[in-house]
Amino acid sequence: MSELPVETPDTAPTTTQDGTHGWQPVPSRGAWLAALGGVMLGIPLAVGAAFISQASGWMSPWLTAPAALLIGAVLGAWVSVRRHLRTRWKLDDSGFAVRRGNWWQSETHVPISRVQHLDLKRGPLERGLGLATLVVHTAGTRQATVNVQALDAADAERLRDRLARQLDVDDAL
Amino acid sequence: MAVEQRLHPWSWLFVLVQQLKQFILPLIALVVFGGRGDPDNLWANLGPVIAVGVLVVLSVVQYFTYRYRIGRDGLTIRSGWLHRSLREIPFARIHNVGIHQSLLHRLFQVAEVRLESAGGQKPEAEMRVLSLSAANALENLIRHRGQAAPAASGDIPAMPASNTLLALPLAEVIRLGLASNRGMVVVAAAFGLAWQVLPDKMMARLVQRYSREAFGYASHLEWSWQSGVLAALAILALVLVLTRLLSVLLALVQFHGFRLSEADRRLTVERGLLTRLRNSVSRRRIQAWTLREGVVQRWLKRRSLHIDTAVASRVDHDDGRALKVLAPIATPEACDALVRHLLPHSAWPPSQWQPMPAQAAWRLWLPGLILVPLLAIALWFPFGAWAGLALLLWPLTGWAAWQNARHSGYAAGEELIAVRGGWWWRWWRFAEIDKLQALRLSRTPVDRWLGTATLWLDTAGDRGLSPPLRLRFLHEADAQAIYLRLADALARRRLRW
Repeated sequence: MSELPVETPDTAPTTTQDGTHGWQPVPSRGAWLAALGGVMLGIPLAVGAAFISQASGWMSPWLTAPAALLIGAVLGAWVSVRRHLRTRWKLDDSGFAVRRGNWWQSETHVPISRVQHLDLKRGPLERGLGLATLVVHTAGTRQATVNVQALDAADAERLRDRLARQLDVDDAL
Repeated sequence: MAVEQRLHPWSWLFVLVQQLKQFILPLIALVVFGGRGDPDNLWANLGPVIAVGVLVVLSVVQYFTYRYRIGRDGLTIRSGWLHRSLREIPFARIHNVGIHQSLLHRLFQVAEVRLESAGGQKPEAEMRVLSLSAANALENLIRHRGQAAPAASGDIPAMPASNTLLALPLAEVIRLGLASNRGMVVVAAAFGLAWQVLPDKMMARLVQRYSREAFGYASHLEWSWQSGVLAALAILALVLVLTRLLSVLLALVQFHGFRLSEADRRLTVERGLLTRLRNSVSRRRIQAWTLREGVVQRWLKRRSLHIDTAVASRVDHDDGRALKVLAPIATPEACDALVRHLLPHSAWPPSQWQPMPAQAAWRLWLPGLILVPLLAIALWFPFGAWAGLALLLWPLTGWAAWQNARHSGYAAGEELIAVRGGWWWRWWRFAEIDKLQALRLSRTPVDRWLGTATLWLDTAGDRGLSPPLRLRFLHEADAQAIYLRLADALARRRLRW
């Protein structure tokens, strides 16, 4: 195809933040959403702590459960925000790629010809912040879906259009 | 050809049999346990009769409402009475054609036809039942119309001469049974089922009674402990022999007359003693390949060759009909030759395997290293100091990990990417580069500490039962190089299903 892979926003000064070209960060305003998701980690921790302290009788569950809730929420939010801020995506001639993670790092690559269908999801909170989640489906099994949360809504739509254009050219199935 | 056709006139009988199979347990329960309490209760006695009557009516209705039409590009199926459905299945989308003939089908000279496409949960169409000639004609038609370049219009060409790639004589089928654990699995499953289904702890009481009787008999004989051990060993040996015999029997039922043939770039597998199965799949629809070699198989100098197809089949609803095995048992040379024949550009087996780096061996031990002490701690509570014996597993898992690492490796060729591993149960897994769907490079904290990475390759149709296609613990630069090369190659090649 002759077109440019994606119209890189000229106004984005953060494109080369991590030193390699082509990798785009997700907007930092989505970090709030990530934090909100991460806070939920406190709930299972609180339940577990309450259960253990009840069973062992070592400390009152009324003391341990809120403590675990607080610690879990802070920890979850911190990890999620860091994870979110490190998420990078890239679209070029070879395909779409997502990089994420700090401790457990991964880079997933989906060739454009392997894209089966695309979802663009926008929850109420994401809409409020002008964000969207892009889900790329392949026919694979273990990595059948690749999703990027809290993309800039305009970027997400451009990505979807670019990836979907190939579907018309290639009859994949 | 645009004439609507019906199923075989006897098809209602087979629909009924199918439905009865689903309801057989509740029906038996109704007859056995329902009517027992009160012999005068008319409804309890009539219940099963009414249920069967309703099923008969439903089956007949299904026969009268199910019609299919063979069009130029596809099959149109109309079905249903109150809830009607119309389904168009293009021939080009059909990945697998399965023809299934149980003993009853063979008696009536009919067959069940199943058409499967990629993805989804259920087959596209299950035609229960067609006359054998109609089923063969339909299969032949799909075989020809489904090809990329449609043949010139006109009559359906005759079935092309097929070329047998592998046929299993009786001795091989017996070897297959000896090498498989099916008998043990079946016995265990039957035991578990009986435990659950039989009411009021009947099984538990039976087991208690017989074991008590056996012990009573043994103590009556006043054996020494040596003869007790001997007797236990003898019983164990007897159980082993019996389960192996059951395995052989099952292998005979499932794989008797196994024949893999090729015609027009399409592979067909026929097998079965009582129930005959015939499945065919286009060669290019094969997504990934697995060679396996268990311990007994290695003693017998045999391997098995399995394939993944993108055909829909749920793991929990798998009745073993899909075409998954190309060679249930064959010599290593025969397996390799088969792969070379079906993948002419693959140069299988790879001339050089890249071994797993020796420094990575201990990482295979990591699960054992952590889990064994945990197991010992957990056993400490019921058994006390005896739990220390569990620590003997430590060197054992270490040895297994080391052996495993010695046999692990990968080969990333131009056309094929292959990984191998295992020690007792060895496996080789490979896929054409064209069939890869996604790539993932992952690094754990340990990876970052040691400067390594793991490359995961995703293919379609992988049901998670075979080892994953992943290159583990590569040096980061190597992993990155392979990742970039594959990404580049995939961008230039179109997906060919």
